[in-house]
Amino acid sequence: MRITFFCVVILSLTVPCYGQVGEYLGDEKAFYATTKQVNQFLRRFNGEEDLLGTRFYQQDSNFRDPGLRSKYIKILFDNKQKDISLESKKQFLAEVIDPDHPQYLDLHGGSWFAEVSAKFKYKGREEKLMLFLRLQEETVGSKWVIFKAYFDPFKEYFKIDTADRDKFIHPMSHELDFMNLRKIFDDPEIAAAFTDQDFQPDYLSLILYEIRRANLKFKTVSQVKFHFFQLEDWYIELSEFNRPGSNNGWLISNLINVNVQQKDQLRKFIYYEGM
Amino acid sequence: MHIMRKYIFTIMALCCLSVLQGQDVISPERKQAIDSLALEKVRDLSRYISIIGNKDTPFSEANRVIDRAEELFADASEIGVSSINRSDINYYVVKEYFKRLMALNYDRVTIKWFNIQYISDLELQPDGRYVGVITIYQRFEGITDDGLRYMDTTKKDITIYVERKQTQIGGRLIGFWDVMLGDIRVTETST
Repeated sequence: MRITFFCVVILSLTVPCYGQVGEYLGDEKAFYATTKQVNQFLRRFNGEEDLLGTRFYQQDSNFRDPGLRSKYIKILFDNKQKDISLESKKQFLAEVIDPDHPQYLDLHGGSWFAEVSAKFKYKGREEKLMLFLRLQEETVGSKWVIFKAYFDPFKEYFKIDTADRDKFIHPMSHELDFMNLRKIFDDPEIAAAFTDQDFQPDYLSLILYEIRRANLKFKTVSQVKFHFFQLEDWYIELSEFNRPGSNNGWLISNLINVNVQQKDQLRKFIYYEGM
Repeated sequence: MHIMRKYIFTIMALCCLSVLQGQDVISPERKQAIDSLALEKVRDLSRYISIIGNKDTPFSEANRVIDRAEELFADASEIGVSSINRSDINYYVVKEYFKRLMALNYDRVTIKWFNIQYISDLELQPDGRYVGVITIYQRFEGITDDGLRYMDTTKKDITIYVERKQTQIGGRLIGFWDVMLGDIRVTETST
């Protein structure tokens, strides 16, 4: 009931006009409710703006008000995502607005990154390529940097048949100046079998190499998601929804209760590592 | 001319703030003044788009307005457009976008605003400029003489660059904050 009231308040407010271009349309309700930018998601999550989107500063009485945060956070979930249970939402809310230990999201707080699904032309075909970007702090300001990537067509180059026990460099090879490497590299199909057990292909280096050689050509961006690991014991996935109604814009599309170790596993999963 | 005077007034107002505070840090008050200037530029852009898209606008006038519109943008700015059915982004350099608009076969183009805008925080980037994003919603309506009507509602996320500059007034160097538009992401909404 209180959430409904809050939404009605959001939807019924209007802002002052700044000037005239053509004519103004009415019915901005859905646009007010929409979380229009990631910036707005962060501000709403933290309780740092009013219902019209005007920023609160530290000296403002409502800045990070727990009551306001509680109302905002409840409307920041994708309501169509049934995998997030009501219990999880309640527990999550209680923990992030806990008066003794409130938790906030911070653009410059680290432990979050963007997952960009892009299309590239490779060998005459359009292929999906995943890029992972994080915000890097600089001497002056900050910038987004690509720190990882994944490209499915490259995956086959690193396939290792773990069942094949014949593929190894025998333990006395050093005595023969590793002359047996010739046999290994003679068959490019099996070369990956001789890497160490923790080997992870560096897709980003390969992608940059292929771009440099003009074999990979950027076409477009298809989708963007954000992964937040900033909050204690929680992982949040943020996605953008463009659909009728007020549950729209940048919303929590996944919420998982995870400990530190599970966070590492989840990160690897998102990066397509160990797959 | 009226628009020019308005900019000069706003820039002067920002100058006064700069002189008073003498810092490059953007205070909440200065942020508000910068937001207003940025919104004025966004509104001017929309006016220009209406003129460029209108078939009654003579060719030479449309080209002149395209030049004016281009002046609002930082170099190499692009417009990235996607639709509801196709999330992939199509890229156009600003001039190309306007030329395409001019070539549309509508006899009348109207651009109506939804009375809402969202203005992000300003973030410092490594070159010393600040960057922010203004989100607006607009309805485009194109009508041909034989009554064919095309209508869409788009969300426009407009990059703004805010830069500290200096100008000489009466022999004194005065600092002011200038605002330029940058890349624009245009998304068709399902509303």
